[in-house]
Amino acid sequence: MKHLLAMTALATGILASLPGLAQDKTVVSFLHKFPEPENMAYFDAAVAEFEAANPAIDIVMESVADEPYKDKIRVLMASDQVPDIYFSWSGEFGRKFAREGRTLDLTEALAGPEWQGRFAAASLEPFQFEGKQFGIPVNVDSKYMIYNKAIFEKHGLAVPTTFADFIALNDALLAAGEVPIAYGNQSPWAATHYIGDLFAKMVPDDVRQADYQLLAPADQLYTHPGYVEALALYKSFGDKGYFNNGANAISHQQARGAFIAGRSAMVYLELVEFYMLADTPVAEQGWGFFPLPPMEGAAGRNDLLTGAPDGFLISAKTEHPQEALAFLNFITSPEQAAKYVSTTGMTSAVIGSVTEETTTPETLAGLKALEDAAGMALWLDTDMDTASANVILAAGQGLLSGDETPEAVMEKVRAAAKETLAQR
Amino acid sequence: MTDRSDHTRATWRQSLQGWLWVAPALLFLVVFVYGPALTNIRFSLFSFSAMSLDWDFVGFDNYLRLWNDPKFTTALTNNAIYAVISVACQVGVALTLAAVLEARVFPDLSANLFRTALFLPSILPVVVVGLVWQLLMTPTTGLIDQLLWETGLSSWSKAWLGEPDTAIFAVIFVSQWQWTGYIMALFMVAIRAVPRDLYEAMEIDGASGIQQFWHITVPGVRETILIVTIITILGSLKVFDIVWVMTAGGPNHSSEVLGTLMYRAAFRDDMIGYSSTIATVIFFIALTIGLMQIKLQKDR
Repeated sequence: MKHLLAMTALATGILASLPGLAQDKTVVSFLHKFPEPENMAYFDAAVAEFEAANPAIDIVMESVADEPYKDKIRVLMASDQVPDIYFSWSGEFGRKFAREGRTLDLTEALAGPEWQGRFAAASLEPFQFEGKQFGIPVNVDSKYMIYNKAIFEKHGLAVPTTFADFIALNDALLAAGEVPIAYGNQSPWAATHYIGDLFAKMVPDDVRQADYQLLAPADQLYTHPGYVEALALYKSFGDKGYFNNGANAISHQQARGAFIAGRSAMVYLELVEFYMLADTPVAEQGWGFFPLPPMEGAAGRNDLLTGAPDGFLISAKTEHPQEALAFLNFITSPEQAAKYVSTTGMTSAVIGSVTEETTTPETLAGLKALEDAAGMALWLDTDMDTASANVILAAGQGLLSGDETPEAVMEKVRAAAKETLAQR
Repeated sequence: MTDRSDHTRATWRQSLQGWLWVAPALLFLVVFVYGPALTNIRFSLFSFSAMSLDWDFVGFDNYLRLWNDPKFTTALTNNAIYAVISVACQVGVALTLAAVLEARVFPDLSANLFRTALFLPSILPVVVVGLVWQLLMTPTTGLIDQLLWETGLSSWSKAWLGEPDTAIFAVIFVSQWQWTGYIMALFMVAIRAVPRDLYEAMEIDGASGIQQFWHITVPGVRETILIVTIITILGSLKVFDIVWVMTAGGPNHSSEVLGTLMYRAAFRDDMIGYSSTIATVIFFIALTIGLMQIKLQKDR
């Protein structure tokens, strides 16, 4: 019995000392949405390198995929277990964290000399709220129409320079028996990329911004006719057969696969997907890209590209702001950003990190087009308030299946926006 | 006096022992079932988001909003359709299959093969089943669409999961494919408990297989039918995973069920209070069905 007691006391002592050992390190929790092998290869190496250089800091990293991330971060917010560093899309998705005081104000920190000249103003701006910087951009992304050069050459078609040309191009492809655009709208965020771009082109910029941020008077929210016209145009793409059959039942990945296999002439892809086209059948046939072309006489802006930077935020309640900032400083340093680009195939928001040495010529050209654009029309579903965005998300499917009309959709958007405005 | 007090003490001790034995289970239930259920009802009276720590008391406004929400009507209807089809397939069809396989109509080898083939889908994870069927039902390139084209039935070709009219039925079909075999196995066990001499007596009297089914099998497995029906209805009410995997409630909310509606409200729309309202409604519907089950079992 005495032996048992002695052993128990010893075991208790050892166990009690363990937390003491762990407490020697400052633990910084880090949650992101890049679980793909190529992304994890970079982040694992970066964390190991940072910890080796900072032995007193322990970065506890967790990663979940894109869609589950939206759920997980909300659960963590609701249960007040916010990680020290967490991922956020730009626009309203990030702004609502800032609005509710869940982010650390980084304005002063980013004014420091080591941060100067690291990011373009266009990348920083979407992470600002009421003049304060609440996030740090990590990558930039934009949307392009990718086309199969062999199919275009076969039918003697050229890259369109105006939206009217683009419509004519789709008609010509249809007449030639081709599927013009591979489209997977099972997860309806895909629709918001089309609709968001059309809204930017067809609604005056100041009106659109005032609507998205609910700054317009309640009775004027989303009343511009450009919204209905844009939805009608999107619907017409489905009605005319520009999209493949059953787009609502196909995932974006399947649509991309169909394009890669040569079953469609075009597909609307993100810049960060360019690397996935390497060593595929379509790479052998040749492919190029163009942004959705400018629309003559439209009320909005034709010089914007649909896309956005992604970034990291620091929790307002973090107990280790300096350590968290040090880690973000490390992974957005020019050397790490170059590694990020070459390892993941993604782009980076850090100026000078995307070069011929670190990425493909197509990605480089895509980034150049982004730099040449006057600005960005942010992803619609992360730029509008949640309730209004949810209406558009469902409508992206409903308009294609024919059980929604553009007018009815905008009526619902107005109601959702008014309700959100009333609650703020 | 002493005898009575000794008796009381013994009874009390016995009672205490009983309470101590059930205490862990009771504590578990209070902490993980009744506590959260009551907390959820309280949440349903507030309006708050996952982001904000401010709670606004709104009374029964969330319930009123739910009542007027067309998505709630769609979800409730879909749950009801799900339940009706599930009961028909998982009770009616499964019982028939079990009776046929137990009636020695097929040779043993064939019967075992059928039994295994029908039971197999139920051991697969729901997510895997959903994803595989999603691929099979893909328009143009999916196996089902290609079969229809190859067999000259191209006019039947549809985006089964992409059209509002067919999406929920496609999901329900997959659910029946997965679970009918499992319920059939339960019925087979129940049928084996029915005395064989009853069947033999009816055979001697010249009764057909169908007559034996209606007059011996069905009354003999009455208890199992009741329990399986209740389980199936409750399962249809709580369904979430297969719908979320295959359609996520789309297109345009047409295949929404109460489970997906609740999940969407909480984790996509940032309306925790409203989501709690949906959860409370689901809780009370399930409670009503549960009480009905208890009453029906007592009546027998």
